[in-house]
Parts: sequence; C-alpha cells; structure tokens
Amino acid sequence: MQLQNRTAYISLFTAAAISLFVIETFIPRPVPGIRLGLANIFILLVLVLFGFKEAMMVGMFKVIAGNLLIGRLLTPSFIFSISGTIMSVVVMYLAEKYGKKISFVGISILGAEAHTTTQVLLASRLFLGNSSFLYLLSPFVILSLITGSITGVTAYWLYLMVERRINFA
Amino acid sequence: MQSKSRYRPIKIGDWIIVLLSLSAIFFIPNYKGEKIRIIVDNEREFIYPLYENRELEIVGRIGTTTIVIENGKVSITDAPCPLKLCMRKGWISKKGEQIICVPNRILIKIEGEYLDAITE
Repeated sequence: MQLQNRTAYISLFTAAAISLFVIETFIPRPVPGIRLGLANIFILLVLVLFGFKEAMMVGMFKVIAGNLLIGRLLTPSFIFSISGTIMSVVVMYLAEKYGKKISFVGISILGAEAHTTTQVLLASRLFLGNSSFLYLLSPFVILSLITGSITGVTAYWLYLMVERRINFA
Repeated sequence: MQSKSRYRPIKIGDWIIVLLSLSAIFFIPNYKGEKIRIIVDNEREFIYPLYENRELEIVGRIGTTTIVIENGKVSITDAPCPLKLCMRKGWISKKGEQIICVPNRILIKIEGEYLDAITE
C-alpha cells in the first residue's frame, strides 16, 4: 500500500481511538477503574493491519491526547493509563506475532488483561506500598475477559470491513 | 501489505486463553476476616479472634476507646475523640477493612488467618 493511504488510515484510526477514549468517560461506571477499553479496538486493528510501531503510536496518541482532553494529563491516573497501554500493546504484539492459533478475541483478551494487571501491580507496588490491592487481581482478570471479548469481536468485525476497502483502494 | 484474511474470529488458542482466564475464578481470595489486630500508638498490639463476642476497653493517648466484637463484626462504640469519626465508621467485617482513630492513635484492622488472642 502507498505511504499516503497508510498515513491517512493510521490518522483516521488514531482519531477514532481518541474519540472512543473520550466518549467512554461519559459512560457512568459503577466501580471506579473499570472501563470497556473501546479504544483498544482501533489499536488492535492498527496492530493487525500495519504493525507494532504504528500500534504503539496510536496507543501513545490515545493516552496523551485522550487524557489531555479529559483533563487528566500528568495526574497519577495518567501514569496508570500510559503504563497499561504500553504493556497491552506489547503483549498484543507478541500474541499476534507468535500466537499462530490466536485470533482477534484472544489477542484482545490478552491485551485487556495485560492492561489491568499492569495497573493493579503498579497500584500495589508504587502507590500504596502494600499488597492489599493484589486482592483485586483475579476479579479484574475475569472482568478483562469480558471486556476483551467484546472489543475483540468488534475489532474483527471492523477488520473485515476495513480490509476489503484497503485492498480495493 | 500481506493479506491476513486467514484470520477467523475465534481459533483454538482463543478458547485456551478464555479457559486460562476463567481459572482466575479459583484465585479469587477469601474476603472473610478471621482475626482483628488492634495497634495502639504504634507500639502496643492486640490480636483477637473475630468470631468470639467481646467488649474491649483500650486506653489510647487521650482516653479509653470501647471496641465491640460481635458476630464477626467490629465497631467502636465509645470514643474520647471530639469528632467521633471512628464511631461513625460503623461495623466492619471484611478482610482488609480498618477503623482508625487518629486522636487516640488506635488502628483496628481485620486480617486473614486465625491466631489465638495474643497480647504483646
């Protein structure tokens, strides 16, 4: 694919990821810290379509621009956000590259779990210095399984539509 | 760009990941507390079982705090502090929960494994 087209698509997906990240904060949350991770749909899509570097770029833009828009840039929760996103992109890349038998749903679940696990470990090590936060780990893994499946299926559905267009473009 | 339309929504590896993640259910910790630890002024420590009803009177820095252990729940029923925040905290029963009385320097927390009443 030509460079122009590629840049256009990556920018489009970045914009979509940032929008979803911001829109997601409008949804009321019963328990703080639990998000659907809708922006992950586009990070996964970019990862599969273009590769690791591009996906990391979209992730970083999502974290920085998204947190800037919701007014959380450089707050403690921003540190959770950025570290979770980095780990999730790295894990999704490894799963995509080395997991021959893993598809969208599996990659997405692994990404969501990497995201929450990083945040829980960070919370227990860095900020509170005690291990009581580790009690949250296994419930959060179950929750990431659910949210990861939702985003994984959505990413697959989008992938089918987008791939057809990109190939014909 | 290489075509990757070999991607199917769910493959065998995905099911393995789902099953592995579901196994986290078995690691959900037991939130039930078994003993309470009372720390006074950061130097005296008392440990009591949670499932034996009793009433304790702990002398802290500014007076006597009355702590009631009843049916697996703990509460401060009387305190000498001006704001009575520790009393308003109500009953706690789960592992990791705490009642803190700052003026009287008393910390009550519920912990996991059972230990006999030890007074240090």
